[in-house]
Amino acid sequence: MHFIRRTIKHVSCFLAFAIFLVSVPFNQADAALVKTETVLTMAQGQKARESVLSFLDRKEVQTAMKAQGINAAEVKARVDSLSDAEVARIAGQIDSLPAGGGALGTVVGAALFIFVVLLITDILGFTDVFTFVKSQRR
Amino acid sequence: MARLPTGGRFYCCLFLFFTALLAGCMNLQTQKALQKAKTSGPDLVELEEVKFYPQKAYQCGPAALAMALQWSGLSIEPEALISEVYTPACKGSLQAVLIGAARRHGRVAYPVSGMDAILKEVAVGHPVIVLQNLGLSWYPIWHYALVVGYDLSKGDIILHSGITPYKRLSFRVFENTWARSHYWGLLVLRPDQLPATVQTMPYLEAVLGLEQARQWSASVVGYKTALTRWPGNPGALMGLGNSLYMLGELTGAEEIFRKACRLHPTSGSAFNNLAPGLSELGRRQAALDAAQRAVNLGGPLKALYVKTLEEIQGGVP
Repeated sequence: MHFIRRTIKHVSCFLAFAIFLVSVPFNQADAALVKTETVLTMAQGQKARESVLSFLDRKEVQTAMKAQGINAAEVKARVDSLSDAEVARIAGQIDSLPAGGGALGTVVGAALFIFVVLLITDILGFTDVFTFVKSQRR
Repeated sequence: MARLPTGGRFYCCLFLFFTALLAGCMNLQTQKALQKAKTSGPDLVELEEVKFYPQKAYQCGPAALAMALQWSGLSIEPEALISEVYTPACKGSLQAVLIGAARRHGRVAYPVSGMDAILKEVAVGHPVIVLQNLGLSWYPIWHYALVVGYDLSKGDIILHSGITPYKRLSFRVFENTWARSHYWGLLVLRPDQLPATVQTMPYLEAVLGLEQARQWSASVVGYKTALTRWPGNPGALMGLGNSLYMLGELTGAEEIFRKACRLHPTSGSAFNNLAPGLSELGRRQAALDAAQRAVNLGGPLKALYVKTLEEIQGGVP
C-alpha cells in the first residue's frame, strides 16, 4: 500500500510537471497573432465580393436588371451588406456559368444566367422567386 | 410477341437511345483535354524516376502515398505509413487522412481534379495520386493508384497500381472508374515546387495545411515559393511571417511583416502581427507603435488588435 502511494506521488509530480509544460504557451503573445487562416478567409471573402460586383457590371446583367426596374447602384450598395458566406455562394454560381460554347451551351448558359441574376436579386430583396432564399430584409 | 402500346414503344426507343449514347461516350471535358494534350504536349510520357511499391491487401493508400513521397525525395516505405493512413474499420484510407499524412512529412498536398489537370501535371513530371472506384456506385471498390504517364497515340493512361508497375488502362475505362470519385486527384510536392496547374488560393491553403501540421520549416519554404509566383501576395506574406515567428526567427519575421505593412499599409493584421515579435525583441516602443497603428486601422479584427496592444502595455517594459 505504502509502495503504491509513493509511486502515485512520483507519477503525479511528473504529470503535474508535464501538464505545466504543455499549458505554458509556446509564446506569450501567441494568442494575439492574426492567424494565416483568418487572413486567407478574409481575402477570399474580398475576392468573392469583387467577382460579384464585376458580374453586376456586365452589360447583359445591367440590361436584365433594368428590365426588372431595378436600380443598379442600389443593388451594389446592398451587396456590401451581405455576409461573406452569402457573397461566396453567389460568386460560386457565377464561376459555374459556362463560358460560351455551342448552341446547347448557349441555352444552358442563358438559363443559368437568369438563375444567377434572380438569385442575387432575391437575396437582395428585389425579387422573390426562390423559396429557399432568405432575403436580407425580411 | 405482345405489341407494346405506342407510348411504351416510345420510351423503349428512348431508353435504347440513351443506353447507346452512354455506352461509347467519354465525358466531354475529358475528350477536350485529350485533344488539347495531343496538340500541346508530348504523345508519350512515362515517369521513370517513380519507384514502385506493390501493395498488400487493402493497402493501396499507404502504397500510393509512399511512392509519391519517395518521388518527392523522402525515403519511406509503405509499412511505415500504415499506422498513419490506414483505417482498419474502413479497410482503406480516407482522402483527408492521406492529405494530413503528406503534410506531416513536410510535403505540400495539392488537390487536382479533371483529366486536363492530371495530363498537364504528369507532362511536367509530377506523378498524381488518384482515387478510383473499380466497382459500381452501389458496390464500390475504392482504390488509390499513382498516375505515372500516358500514351495518347494508344489512348492509354499509365499507372502504378496494385501489384502492377506501369499498368496501362484505356482512357475510357480510367475515366469511368475515376469519375465515381468525382475525379479526385492529389499532388504531393516538395514545398519548393509549384504545381503546373497552380492557382493562388488553393496553393496558399495547401501551404497553410503545412503550417497547421506544425511543419513550419516546410511552410516557410512553401510561402516563399508562393511569393516568387505572386510577389507581395498578402496571404503569403502573413503566412511566411507567422511561420518564421513560430520558428522563433523573430528578426526574419519582423522583416517580412514590415514588408507586408509597406505593401499593404491598410492591413491592420500586418501591423498587429509585427508587434508581438518586436516586444519580444525588447523594442517596446516600436511594438506599441505597431499595435496602436493596427488599432487605429480597425476593421473586423479590431478586438484582437486591442488585445495585442493591451498585452504589450501590460508586459514588463
